[in-house]
Amino acid sequence: MIELHHVTKIFNKGNANEFCAVDDVSLVIDPLVITVLKGPSGSGKTTVLSIIGAMTKPTEGRVYIHSREITSLPERFLTEIRRKTFGFIFQQFNLIKGITALENIMIPAYPTGEKYSFLKKRAMDLLDLLSLSGKATSKIEWLSGGEAQRVAIARALINNPEVVIADEPTAHLDTRLSREFIEVMAVLKNEGRTILIASHDPIIYSSPVVQRVVELRDGRAISEDHRS
Amino acid sequence: MVWIEKQRNILDFALSSLFRRWGKNLALIIVYTIIVFVLASIFFLTHSIKKEATIVLQGSPEIVVQRIVAGRHDLVPEGHSDQLRKIPGVLEVKGRLWGYYFDPATGANYTMVVTDASREKNGTITIGAGVARVAGVQKEDTIPFKSSGGTYTTLEVADIFPHQSELISSDLIEISEEDFRKLFSIPNGSYTDLTLRVRNKNELNVVADKIKRYLPDTRPILREEILRTYEAIFDWRGGLLVVILTGAILAFAIFAWDKASSLSFEEKKEIGILKAVGWETSEVIIMKSWEGITVSLTSFLLGIMCAYVHVFFGSFFLFTPVLKGWSVLYPHFKLIPFVDPYQVSALFFLTVAPYTAATIIPSWRAATIEPDSVMRL
Repeated sequence: MIELHHVTKIFNKGNANEFCAVDDVSLVIDPLVITVLKGPSGSGKTTVLSIIGAMTKPTEGRVYIHSREITSLPERFLTEIRRKTFGFIFQQFNLIKGITALENIMIPAYPTGEKYSFLKKRAMDLLDLLSLSGKATSKIEWLSGGEAQRVAIARALINNPEVVIADEPTAHLDTRLSREFIEVMAVLKNEGRTILIASHDPIIYSSPVVQRVVELRDGRAISEDHRS
Repeated sequence: MVWIEKQRNILDFALSSLFRRWGKNLALIIVYTIIVFVLASIFFLTHSIKKEATIVLQGSPEIVVQRIVAGRHDLVPEGHSDQLRKIPGVLEVKGRLWGYYFDPATGANYTMVVTDASREKNGTITIGAGVARVAGVQKEDTIPFKSSGGTYTTLEVADIFPHQSELISSDLIEISEEDFRKLFSIPNGSYTDLTLRVRNKNELNVVADKIKRYLPDTRPILREEILRTYEAIFDWRGGLLVVILTGAILAFAIFAWDKASSLSFEEKKEIGILKAVGWETSEVIIMKSWEGITVSLTSFLLGIMCAYVHVFFGSFFLFTPVLKGWSVLYPHFKLIPFVDPYQVSALFFLTVAPYTAATIIPSWRAATIEPDSVMRL
């Protein structure tokens, strides 16, 4: 379980361009459900995801993962948490150009010290799961948008995380690919993972597989919709 | 084991990154290799020549006495030998006959010398491989020499010195005493200079002082002085070459610094991605260090190997005029490979270390950004 207690994030604090992205948000993310943070651009969705995913620290407030307070941990421990607990799917996919799909998937696992051959096998299994085994040796720039996104999903899963975090994953996808994406997320949830998505795409937040929608506006959580 | 696998994986990714930016890295390696090659060639060459000269001079006389007339080197009369023999500690005094012969046909200067082996062999000469090459002669051929009186003397080539001794024998002609005196019109009882052997090596300076006192018209030259002169000449020539190349070295330093220390937008983005997917700052720095070490070490080893081949197998053809002096008759010799570990390590720390540091600093700066920055790109 992930808990946010009165979390505030202010960028450029004390400067003329000070900006409050998240304002006193308290939230509980239940395990093994698909939660969507919805809201317009600038509502604070990405910042909330960054704070939950241990990518940035809140200016105020506390974050707990399985009741362990992580806000005050040094960077090294946060990296460990990021690597083991979370798998990230970014809006622009953020895949590294010039290398193959397979290599991209393996990147998060390199520092774990896992034997290369085992790592490669797991990456191949993930590509197989996402029907991409034929593209293993293709360079990223040769892939279509849908294929690139599936590579990004595979990369997020390589360290077998408990929680998958996706930031506006369908922003560059058409309707069919967006539906495919949410179906893949449903499969991952059924495998026993927690899914947290930031999106203002109705295909995502209206999907029947989504169990909870939290609406953000101007950095504040303004409503919640729990579905069965 | 985990640590080794981790390093292996990171190195693997670092190499893959280098290949992705192959254009930039290849240019860097080429320029870097050339600089290491040039510097290493100079170091290898000057060190080996100095070392070789030291070995060659081991067999040379401890003191050479020359007669000076009006500040010029002149013939020494036999009577001087008797005076020198009276100096306590002097074991042996010998008169030497040697000189230079300019051959207008080839434009080369030969060094003519009378040795114990050739002293009695009238009508024949033993020549260096360089002389044989320039004059186009073989064993048993004859070479005409024009004497100082204008007449010609034809001498037969009895033998040619082996190639191994070419550094000292390339331009050498061993000739008999009679032929030498006839060729240069040197009267009997006169010598070019005198050589001395001394019983106690610690008293060389004392003997030299006495020579100057007993024979004020002479100058004693100690073997150590010749060695020092050799070292000074080659250090000076090597230094001169380094000074000439300083511009190129500086240009490389600026080029390398620019390439190594500036990260492109793509590189910064990649570092952000690595951080976001769970790499620690230290792991990013390790990866960038591997990149820097790979480029600099590859260039260093390539440069050193090319320099080794150039100096010890290629007769350092690129630097011949500067480091060996100008001559028609260059000895074609192979130096015995002497490598000074101190110079190699100095070169290593002057090239590999700064470059690697130059790659790490900007990477460290980029790697300390918050990983969430990649979500806003």
